[in-house]
Amino acid sequence: MPMAPMETRHAIKSPFRLERCRIELLGHGLNCRKRGNGVSLSAMRQTLLIPSLVLLIVGSICFYVSTPHRQGADAISFCEAGQIHTLDPDKMTWMQDIRVATGLWEGLAQLNPKTLQPVPGVAKSWKISHDGLRYTFNLRHNARWSNGRSVTTADFLFAWKRILQPSTAGGYVTMLFHIAGAKDYFNSLAAGRHAAFGSVGIQAPTPYKLVVTLTHPCAYFLSLMAFPPFFPLNPDAMAKFRSHGQSPAHYNPRWTRPPYLVSDGPYYLAAWKFHQYLELRPNKYYWDRQAVKCPVLYVRNFPDSQSAFLAYQSGAVNVLSFVPTLFAPALLRQQRQHLRDDVHYRQVFGSYYYNINCRHKPLNNPLIRRALDMAIDKRAIVKHILRLPDRTLEVLVPPDSIPGYVSPRGLAMNIPAARKLLIKAGYPGGRGLPVFKFLTNSGAAINIRIAQAIAEMWRQNLGVRVNIHQEESKIFNQDVVQGNYDIARAGWYGDYMDPTTWLDLYRTGNPNNLTGFSNPRLNALLHAASRQADVARRFALLHQAEKLLVTRWMPSIPLFQYSDGLMYNPRRIGGISTNVRMITLLKYIHWIHHAVPQAAEAGR
Amino acid sequence: MKKFIFSRLLQSVVVVWIVYTVTFWLLMATPGDPFIGKKQPPPAVLAALRRDYHLNQGDFHAYLAYGWQILAHGDFGPTISYANWTVLDVIRNSLPVSVALGAMALLIALWLGVAAGVLGAVYRGRWPDVALAVGTLLGISLPTFVIGSGLLMLFAVETSLLPSGGWGSIEQLILPACTLSVLFLAYLARLSRASALDVISSDFIRTARAKGLSPMKVIAGHVLPNASIPVLAFLGPATASVLTGSFIVEKIFAIPGLGEVFVNACLDKDIPLVLGIVLVYTVLLVLMNLLVDIACAFADPRIRL
Repeated sequence: MPMAPMETRHAIKSPFRLERCRIELLGHGLNCRKRGNGVSLSAMRQTLLIPSLVLLIVGSICFYVSTPHRQGADAISFCEAGQIHTLDPDKMTWMQDIRVATGLWEGLAQLNPKTLQPVPGVAKSWKISHDGLRYTFNLRHNARWSNGRSVTTADFLFAWKRILQPSTAGGYVTMLFHIAGAKDYFNSLAAGRHAAFGSVGIQAPTPYKLVVTLTHPCAYFLSLMAFPPFFPLNPDAMAKFRSHGQSPAHYNPRWTRPPYLVSDGPYYLAAWKFHQYLELRPNKYYWDRQAVKCPVLYVRNFPDSQSAFLAYQSGAVNVLSFVPTLFAPALLRQQRQHLRDDVHYRQVFGSYYYNINCRHKPLNNPLIRRALDMAIDKRAIVKHILRLPDRTLEVLVPPDSIPGYVSPRGLAMNIPAARKLLIKAGYPGGRGLPVFKFLTNSGAAINIRIAQAIAEMWRQNLGVRVNIHQEESKIFNQDVVQGNYDIARAGWYGDYMDPTTWLDLYRTGNPNNLTGFSNPRLNALLHAASRQADVARRFALLHQAEKLLVTRWMPSIPLFQYSDGLMYNPRRIGGISTNVRMITLLKYIHWIHHAVPQAAEAGR
Repeated sequence: MKKFIFSRLLQSVVVVWIVYTVTFWLLMATPGDPFIGKKQPPPAVLAALRRDYHLNQGDFHAYLAYGWQILAHGDFGPTISYANWTVLDVIRNSLPVSVALGAMALLIALWLGVAAGVLGAVYRGRWPDVALAVGTLLGISLPTFVIGSGLLMLFAVETSLLPSGGWGSIEQLILPACTLSVLFLAYLARLSRASALDVISSDFIRTARAKGLSPMKVIAGHVLPNASIPVLAFLGPATASVLTGSFIVEKIFAIPGLGEVFVNACLDKDIPLVLGIVLVYTVLLVLMNLLVDIACAFADPRIRL
């Protein structure tokens, strides 16, 4: 055995300390002054051949395994804004999950893609009693699961019972609390007491008739039937994933993965590649099969919006479910100049606002909160910072989104009046006020810029000083929930087309009440509205509640209404309708027929 | 030999356990709650979630529960952010991406690095050698995000020769693999140059020449086996560090690998997923070092001390 030189032995002994041995080796090499012969390249190549081959084989196999398979030319590729978190309809809360769920499942009702009004889904008709408390759904006999079996009331009972188990951890379980007895059933189980599901107001007299009794009239109950927590589930398909010895809620989460997932909607889940794509193919047993014209739909996702946009530009993606914020001002300008027609931008049912912590002094004084609101030039923020056609807001519920609901008039910007309010509160010129902890979350760069602008407006206009804290979203959320802030950024997208999706945020006892605001008068108004079956009277009560919130109590400072959009070529892709809730129903997406050859060209 | 392997294995187990412990308590010390999002579910739902993820009975219980789960089932169970996928599922799906990228990067580094190193040894002191010294210095000192962004600007933005990111085609692999390879290429070039020079000038080579062996035989039979030991020894830890070092490259080039998942898991405070990925990387690193140590012990008996 030839002796290895000293330095080389060091290298062998301590492969962890590569740094040191390399320096030693280098030093040795440089100090070496003896002239050696040239090293043969071909011989060197032979000893490198084995590791190279190993690397090549391993690399190629991994590359092959991990790449998405080639999609056919007729497939439509739909890009989501975020990763799919779960396909369990009982647990989902993210927009992208819900969007995919409405493509895979169908509830008793589905939504009209333009008006968002509920239209018959699995239920072919329904009857509502005069007091608005009893809903009788008649299920269609031809509604089928993707395995061919009929959808019956048993599937709905199974799904609703499952989500009402606290251990299912359903994010939107509170939506079922409109059903009589559901809340008590859930709370009893949560407290560890026995409760019978029979006490919940859901009856199935026949496999095709479902009777639901509510605690109080709910104007939007039918639209909830098109929302994932109310979707049916297939008990047979899930049975083999049931964990033994556990509560009825426990299933191995693999049941949502292909080929096990059985759904009753327009598509079935053909493939799901983690962090890359979902492949949806038409469910041949779907009762409205002829309405589904897209042969293969890929739901894709990219780690960031820029790469998604580049993929869209290159044609690898056909529909982008968002307009990348970075490029949005430029894209909208091009659209205005008629250089492109693929940006579909609109006001949505969501708003950007600031929460004020109403629990402590001095911000528990509504005069200061109103002063803070009136000292902000919201128009300047939208025009100079956002540079997007977003609409400034003086109210909580985005105006003109709910048919029949008239928004109150909020407070306009008025600096002298704001100063007077501060004097009235006992803090003339902001003297005596502490430096407020102003919390914003990182993620979008725009948040910090808006916060800085507003902090400057408050300093100049009122003499109020704030300390801006920027936090990672998980820490930010925790601080906001625990009330560890004075003023915090907030955003909210409405879950259903009703003012209460916003106004309930200020009801005492709501876990989503982050401001700590509590007012018996508001609670009474919301309660009265929830008991009111007449739509016009109900809206009048809610109008009054919102008016008090935005003109007197001001627990949140509304800033602007979100805009959002989609990007797709309207001459090639059809069936996408724009609506305020950004609900894109995957069911109707299709190629525009004469464009298919052109699309096939691009696919090749 | 058996004793040597056994003791090294035992050491490896201890290392893995220490890494698990440190990672777990660091995670617990970080602020933020994985279950608190923008919309708050009822308290009973939060409690159920905490129970599902062993987080309802204090940190020490979670430490034991996760430790037991990995020992008994070899998996940490469902992740928090992607509840339909267990930690093992996520790793199984994302690791091949990182491995493919790493293997290509190492392949580039191995060939170009050794070629450049040999070139430097042959032309010692002349301009190719100087160019090599400057190049390797740059390669070692420039951070990946500078190299990656530079290549991106040059080949994707300015000239549009190659795609800017994504995963699925060979063209998309070129830029990230080159970026990732630079550091290893530079190390290997220095290493192979130095060891080639070193071996050439040692006594036993002179003896071999004095015996009258042809220059080709000297190099093939004596220089190369000895000169390639450090290169091969380097490959073990390099394989592990090329995988762990791909986080930034994956982020720059939007590659759906384990690095990207890991960064997001940390931000989301996805405890099982972070633990799982850290352990996989630890096991890889320890395993690679162990293999190299065993291989070297076979090659050189004096190492088994």
